[in-house]
This record gives sequence, structure tokens and C-alpha cells, in this order.
Amino acid sequence: MSNNSKPVTNRRAFVQKLVGGVAATTVASSAVALSSAETPPEGKKAKLKSYAMLIDTRRCIGCHTCSVSCKSEFDVPLGVTRSWVEYTEKGTYPNVSRHFLPRLCNQCRHPQCVDVCPTGATYKRPQDGIVVVDSGQCIGCKYCIQACPYDARFLNPETKVAEKCDFCIHRVSKGLVPSCVNSCIGEARIFGDISDPNSEISRLLTTNPTTVLRPGKGTEPQVYYIGADHSDEHENNRGWYDVRITTHRKEKGRR
Amino acid sequence: MVDRRNFIKLGIATAGAQLLPIRKVMAEDGTPLKHGGEDYSQFSGNQHVAVPSICGQCPSRCAILGYLDDGKLAKIEGHPDSIRNQGRVCAKGQAGAAKVYDPDRILTPLRRVGPRGQGEWEKISWDEALDELTTRLKKFRDAGTPEKFVFHHGWISDSAEKLIDDVFLASYGTGSIIKQTCQQQSARWTAHELTWGATADNWDFDNARYVLNFGSNVLEAHTNFVSLAKRLTKSTVDHDLKMMTFDVRLSNTAANSDRWIPIKPGTDLAVVLAMCNVVMSEDLYGRDGEKFIDFCLVSENYNALPGEKIVTLKKHLADYTPEWAEKISGVAAQDIRQIAREFAITKPACIISSRGAAAHYNGVQTERAIQMLAAITGNIDNPGGRCQAVSAQWTYPTGPKSKPVSRKLSFIDDIASTTALPQFGAGHSVLRRIKESGERPGLYMWYHHNPAYANGSTRETVEILKDESLLPFTVAVTPFYDETAALADLILPDATYLERYDIEAAVSPGQVPEYALRQPFVEPQGEARDFKDVCCELAKRLDIKLGFKSAEKFIDKACKLTIVVKKKARGFRGMQKIGVWHDKKAQPIYFAYRERIENATLADDGVLLDEATGVYWNWKTAEVESEAKAKSIGYLGTPGAFKGYVAQRVGYAAYSGFRPGILNKTGLFELYSPLLAAKGMPGLPTYVEIPDHVKMSDDEMILTTFKVNVQSLSNTGNGGWLTEIHHENPVWINPVSATARGIIDGDALIIKSPLGEVSGTAMVTPTVAPGVLAVSTHLGRWQGGRYASGNPAPFALGDHRHDEHQWWQAGGTHANWIIPDNPEPVSGQQCWMDTVVTLEKASS
Repeated sequence: MSNNSKPVTNRRAFVQKLVGGVAATTVASSAVALSSAETPPEGKKAKLKSYAMLIDTRRCIGCHTCSVSCKSEFDVPLGVTRSWVEYTEKGTYPNVSRHFLPRLCNQCRHPQCVDVCPTGATYKRPQDGIVVVDSGQCIGCKYCIQACPYDARFLNPETKVAEKCDFCIHRVSKGLVPSCVNSCIGEARIFGDISDPNSEISRLLTTNPTTVLRPGKGTEPQVYYIGADHSDEHENNRGWYDVRITTHRKEKGRR
Repeated sequence: MVDRRNFIKLGIATAGAQLLPIRKVMAEDGTPLKHGGEDYSQFSGNQHVAVPSICGQCPSRCAILGYLDDGKLAKIEGHPDSIRNQGRVCAKGQAGAAKVYDPDRILTPLRRVGPRGQGEWEKISWDEALDELTTRLKKFRDAGTPEKFVFHHGWISDSAEKLIDDVFLASYGTGSIIKQTCQQQSARWTAHELTWGATADNWDFDNARYVLNFGSNVLEAHTNFVSLAKRLTKSTVDHDLKMMTFDVRLSNTAANSDRWIPIKPGTDLAVVLAMCNVVMSEDLYGRDGEKFIDFCLVSENYNALPGEKIVTLKKHLADYTPEWAEKISGVAAQDIRQIAREFAITKPACIISSRGAAAHYNGVQTERAIQMLAAITGNIDNPGGRCQAVSAQWTYPTGPKSKPVSRKLSFIDDIASTTALPQFGAGHSVLRRIKESGERPGLYMWYHHNPAYANGSTRETVEILKDESLLPFTVAVTPFYDETAALADLILPDATYLERYDIEAAVSPGQVPEYALRQPFVEPQGEARDFKDVCCELAKRLDIKLGFKSAEKFIDKACKLTIVVKKKARGFRGMQKIGVWHDKKAQPIYFAYRERIENATLADDGVLLDEATGVYWNWKTAEVESEAKAKSIGYLGTPGAFKGYVAQRVGYAAYSGFRPGILNKTGLFELYSPLLAAKGMPGLPTYVEIPDHVKMSDDEMILTTFKVNVQSLSNTGNGGWLTEIHHENPVWINPVSATARGIIDGDALIIKSPLGEVSGTAMVTPTVAPGVLAVSTHLGRWQGGRYASGNPAPFALGDHRHDEHQWWQAGGTHANWIIPDNPEPVSGQQCWMDTVVTLEKASS
């Protein structure tokens, strides 16, 4: 299937194709932004990457292994979460469903957390697109936590510094996939470089219908989903089916 | 606002270069990222030391890698070389990394100082503890009553069972051993022993095209969870496997099935029989079914021709129509018909089942009917079907050659008077039987077991455990302080599974056996000791020569005795390096029953053909006095004849057949069970009603329990990261049932059974069938540590990192207070799902 598809050689064209027409202009500008920062840290060989994750929810069994492996990887204190799984139940008896939605930082192409950070502690890494927090620069003002449309950030109660998922930079830099990808029982998570048209994630993105969370925010998330159920409790007003969201974390509601 | 582009430059130039060093983008640019097998500290960047071992959080026993950071266990992941769990391990397994450092561990032997159960303890030395035990054990032995030492354990490792039960306790002379693996599985296992002679089953999801599920939550809580869930998920998405799930509630397994079909609790048997009816009456058994029926026994006539067998089955099933089943189960007849047809014509198809179908009064009949549906469609032991489980075959040292005659207290077996085939002991009712029998164990010790929480009839269980006139001296062996340890006289701190050696022989989902070794990541914390080592020391104090000095030596010897491990996996040292081993040339084991047995084997010394049944058996191996006697009383008339089983004649040839396991059956797949018939029970799977459900009034409901994916009964409750996810267990109730009682979501409830009442919170949800209450069975703890119950263990440490961040109140509902201890009549399986209750709103 995807092996037969014509390889996309031009990265910018590929990215445009990927994101589609509506966002074409913003994508272009972001690509410019990235290329302008093109100063490879270690010689000519290093290429710019654009890391992304694709979560195939058809393979998700809601087992929380990703959540707990993340807790273990970073020794995350109780009460805060970098990675979690939400359950969405809807329907009326006996026609009911439960879908699972694994959540993490979306590593947005236009991260609102970066825009509001007063110290520059939060930034998007030019070499791979991962949004990171420099704990030395963070003053714990929580602006980013408020700004994130995905509720992906928190103040670490131990260090009082803003934290969130960073695609396990410490693993990725050593040639390992993020911990949640490694531990996922259903192999629902695919991690890779979407600037490489031959990467598994690029192939899957071009050959499957995918969605992102809250596309209307213009953040262009770099976490994509196959088969995600985006139903939300506000749909209960429509009256024909009931939706129940369980976040499995301290914040019971979705932002 | 900061200009973003400049900001990025700024970020690169100055910010946090040391905290977030920009490394080479990837070690080998362009090569795909590896999944696991190596690990680095998130804090220091240092590479962790990887040690292979086996998880012990639940009975799945997945192969794992533990990563050590400066000698401290930092992380656990699935062992990438394991052909079972294929590099994956579940949330519980991941959370195991924190278990060594659990602040509520017991770190020294503790002796009760106040009244039993008051929670007043003193720390004592191992010497004092073992002196006390030795004195008592010597006293029993000298008086000729070693059986007064009663040992009761839950799921333990293969090697622990061999070392403790078969070597240490056998050498001491007590046979008063209760293996409580029967909480969930004994009905299924007994049905398996009756039909195909083996205990465990395996579901070949790699090759299945269709899965028919009766009450298994395989995507959350199976005893081979990760291995099966991974394969099932892959086949569902990549191979378009279709799955139908019958369950009283929408489990995650039901949610990920093509369809969830709600069913009234305890009526799976009716639906399965009706499906068998459809297959037979519509002649859907096909060539595969017909071929398989050749190997089946369907009546007392061992020599029935295939055509006769089909007629017998059709006749037996004729009345079990889908319309009949609809009235009983609430499942529409047309659904039963359609699913039966799909199941019969889709090849291969796998029928799966668990507690939801089998933890009932009619559990053994249900599981036998399920075996029948698989058999008549030819889905037994085939690629993609329901297979006899394959696991590693270890050989262990057997200890002293001459052991005393094993003696046991009579209550161990007195269940036989009320239960037809209690092969798995019905351990859940042992405490009650002690009370009723009048016999008193001199020393009652439990290991890897928490009966006060895990058994039904909680109040009675706790009272018996507290009663010094019934149990004069009790010893808990556990790494953690739990509900039952709190009632002990002496607590011996055990090593966790992360601190000890073990051999495990778990089921291989790919039908190729995998050999696996558990080894310590770290030394036991405090003064904790592996109980296997403690047994070795007790043996020394009792002047018993076991032939090995420690658990490590025992396992080292097992690695030498097990030929493939010695020769191909380089023995103990080799296993320590690789953790798991399998023969790469081995083919998956299917259709083992069709293996032809050579005439030479049949002509071996002592082998006889039992003309009545077609069984070839060796009267010498079966320990019969003479050939003449063996011939005169025959295979079925000889107790223990199955030990001499050689082959089964089918037609004109001798086959390996379905070898008997622990029951005296033939080598046929016994759909008709002469053993049950001899006990006055129906020989062929027959509908049996659940007595308590026959006459229920409108205001009564059936209480069911379930397990969730982040907890392993009471074993993982103090894992903060797990209990953080599952710390509330509202009672699921269908809107129809709720409305009828004026209950709305979030209402406080009182649930009552004849045993008493428990409180709960209503979750009004369409994900449960009307008339049913469903509640998870992990919460409502009163001991077990701060995260599990809110009560720290005696002498517990402070957990400075986490204590102040615990954001939930430990609580929840524990339904076992109102679920009676209730053994099912064939196997003694606890009937978890049969309790009839009433429900009311709690007055505020």
C-alpha cells in the first residue's frame, strides 16, 4: 500500500499535503520559522527533524500502561500527569460504546504555552520540534498551564516548575522511542519523524484518516489519532445520547 | 510578547544548554528508533544496568527487564526477547518498580503483643521467630502429628510450590496444604480435566478469525493478560478478527469487541447449549466438527460410530432451542442463531471464557458446554482455536529420598462430601471447614494469600482468623501488612518478587514453551527474607536434609536437571544472563491428540488394551498388583489407572489422544463424562438453574464483581500510581433498575444480602444489564498500606516524596462482606456471581 505511493521528496510540500489546505499558510510560515533556525548543532550531517506521534485508538485497550510507565520514567508525583488515558462512554442501553483516548502534550506546531512564557523557559526545539521546559529558567508563574488548551501542563509539586511530556527526549536522543510507545500493549502508538516521508508515521499519516484534538485552536498538534472518538460531555445537551468522560486523573473534567 | 523566532534562537544560544543538552539528533541518523532493551536515566543520562527477570504482580508472570540506577531499581519494562509478552508489561508491572521501596513494607519479623487483631506488635529477630516455629514444629512431629502444621497459599511460583510443598513440607511430614488457586479458576479447570484431561487452556489469537467470548475480560484481567491482549488487539485490527462478547457489563473487552451482548448472570450455559443446538440441528459442524467428534465420547458407548454420535448429540440438544435460551438469558433468539452460525462457519474460531461464565453454581456445566461448542465445530487444539496450554517443563530436585508418609487433617478433604470432584481443594472454604470440623491446626501459616480480604463471607472469615480457640497459633508470611497479616500472631517479612529467585512455567500463547528465570534485582529490604530460604533454614533446624542450602541452589539444580536448560540455555548462569529461553526451531504444538502411537510402544512390557474403552494402559505404571487383576477390573475400575495411560484407540489406530491429567478418564474428549454420571450428575452438558435465581422478587438484584486493569485483587493496592487511577468503585446500575428505585447517579446506596450490608455510591450507566449490580473487587480495604487503605503499616516509614501528594481518600466498596462463601457443587469453585441482593438509598 504505502510502499507503492510516490515518495514525497520535498519536505515542505509534504508537510503541506499532510496538514491540508486550510492550514497551508500557517504551515508554510512555521516551516520558514523552522528553517530559519537551521543551524545544525553538530556538523552538516544532522538534519532537522519533526517528531510526531500517531495514536491508533483502534489498538488502545485503555490499560493505562502508558500512564504508569510515564510515571515510572520520570518519577512523577501523585496528583499530576504527563500522560493519561480518558474513557468516553456514550449511548443508551444496550447500544453503548466505550472509547479510549490516550492523552499527552501535543507538541504543537504553534504552541500557546511558548507564546505566553515570560522568561523563555518554554520553547520549541528547532532541531526536532519538541516543546520543552528549561527548568532553570522557569519561574513557576503557571501562565503556560493556563494557556495550554489541552491541560497537558502542571506545576511539579516537588520542584515548583512547569512540566509536561517532552516525548522522552532523554530516550529519543539515545535512539529509543518514548517510554509510552515502548510500553504500549496494543502497539497503538507510532512515534517518528514526519519530515522523513519514508518514516512509518509519515506513511501511516498519509494512508489513514487522522484527527487532532481541538483543531479549531490553530495550534496544529503533532499528536495525531486514528479512530479517536471526540465526543464530549457538552454534547449531552443534544439529548439523544449521553456521554460520560472519565479522565482517570485529578482533574475530573476536560478543559 | 516575545518574538517567537528570536526566542527560539535565544533558547538555543543560552537557555538550559546543560539541563537539556542538544545531542546528536540520533545516534544512527536515519535508522529507526529502538523500542527497548536499554535504558537511560532521565536525570543523569547514565545508562541503566539491565537485569532480566519475571514479573510477579499477577499470575500472568510476564518476562521483564529491571533497570538499576546505581544499585537502585529505577524502572521495569517488558523483556524484548520474550515470545510470550513480546517486550510489553502492563501498568501493574510498570508500577512494580516502586514495590521494593513501598513505605508500608514489613522489614523485620513482628510478634503480636496485644490481643489478636489489635495491631500491637513488637519487632523480634529472625532467630527468635525461627526458634518459636522450630519448637512448635518439633513438638508436632515428636507427637506424631506433623499434619497439625497447616500451610495455605495463593498463587505462588512453580519453584516455590515445588520447594515448599513437595520438598520441605513433604519431608517434614505434613500434607495439610491448601493451594488456593481456586478463587477464580477451579470450575473451568475441573471442566477441562473432565473433557480433555489438561488443566489450562490457551486461546490462539494469532491465528483466530472469530472470537466468541463468554464472561472473559481478557483485555483487562486475564491470567495471561499482556500476552493475550497484545495478540488479540493485533489480530482485531490487522486481521479483521471479529469478536462477540457476552457479559453482564460493558468490560473493556466488551467495549473493544464488535458487539457486546448483555446477558443475565449465570445463564451463559443456556446460550451456549442453544448455540450447540443450532450447530447440530442445522448441520453446521462441517468436516472439521465431524472429524473431531471421532475423538469424542458422547455417551456410555465407547464404540459408537461417528454417525451414531451425531445422532446422540442432536437428540440431547434438541430441546435447547434459541427461543428456549432467550426466555432464560434475555439474549434474543435471532442473535443466538446468527452468532452460532457465524462461529460455526468462520474458520478458525476461538471460544473463550472466564469467571463471568464459570464462577456460578453451574460453572462446571457451563465450561463443559463451552468445550462442547468448540469441539463440535472442530475448534479444539487447532491453529486459531481453543488449545491445550503449553508451558515449560522443568525438572526439580525432589529432596530426601525417604519421606515420611504424608498425613493431613481431615477438614482439608471433607469438602468431598458436598462437592463431586474437589480436585483443586476449594481453599476459600477451608477456614469455615476448620470451624465446623472440630479439628484444630496447631500452626496455621499462610503465604502469598490474603483470605480476610479475598474470600467471601468476610465477617465470618475475620472472626475465625481472630479466634484463638479455633486457630491457636497463626503465622503470616508476606512482604506487606494486609488485612490477614493484621490477624496473625507472628509475621515473617518475605522478599518481594523483585528480590528473589524463582522459576515460572507460564502458559505460552504461541504454543511454544518458554523457560524463564526470576532473579533478584536488589537485596531484600531491611531484614526481609525469601520464604524459600527460610524453609531451608527451618529444615536445617529440624534436622531434615533437603539436599540444597538455599532457594538459589535449588534453582541452580533445577537448571541442571532440566536437560534443555542445561544444554541449550547454558544452565543457571546462562538463564541469569538471558532471563528467557525457547527453542528457536520448535514448532507450535497443535493437534497433539492426533499423534499416532507406534505399535512398538503398544507392545511395551505391561501395556494392555482395555477393550471396553479402547485405552492402552500400562498396569505396572498404574501400580496394579498383577496383570490378571488389571484385566479383570479394567481401566475404569482401577483407581489411579490414568497414571498408566499410554494411548487411545480411535477406529483402528492408536493415538496419543486427550491424555488424562488428574482424573481417571479415557483418552477421548469426554463430552459425556462417566465420572460425573457416576456421581449422579448429567453426563452430557445439561442446563442447570442457579437455585437462588429461580424465584427472585422484583426488588431483588444480582450482585457481580469484576477486576480492573490497574489492580491485581489486593496485591497491588498500595501502588500509589495504580490506586491513583482506580480508587473509587461506584456500583454500576442500569438506568431502568435505578429509576425503578428512585436512584440517581451519585446516590449513596445500601446493598443488602442475608450476610449483612455494605454501602456504595451509585453509578447509573447504560453499560450494565438491568437487574444487575457490578462493582470492582479491589477497594474497600482496611489494611494494606496508606495508599490502599489510608492506614500505614506498623513501624511504617514516612514516604516524604508522596505522602503529602496523596489526593484521594482511600475507600470504596468491598462486596465480599455480603457475598457468601459458596462452593459450586462439582469443583468447589467459589460462586462469586450468584449473590441475590436488595438495594436501597442510604438515608442522608
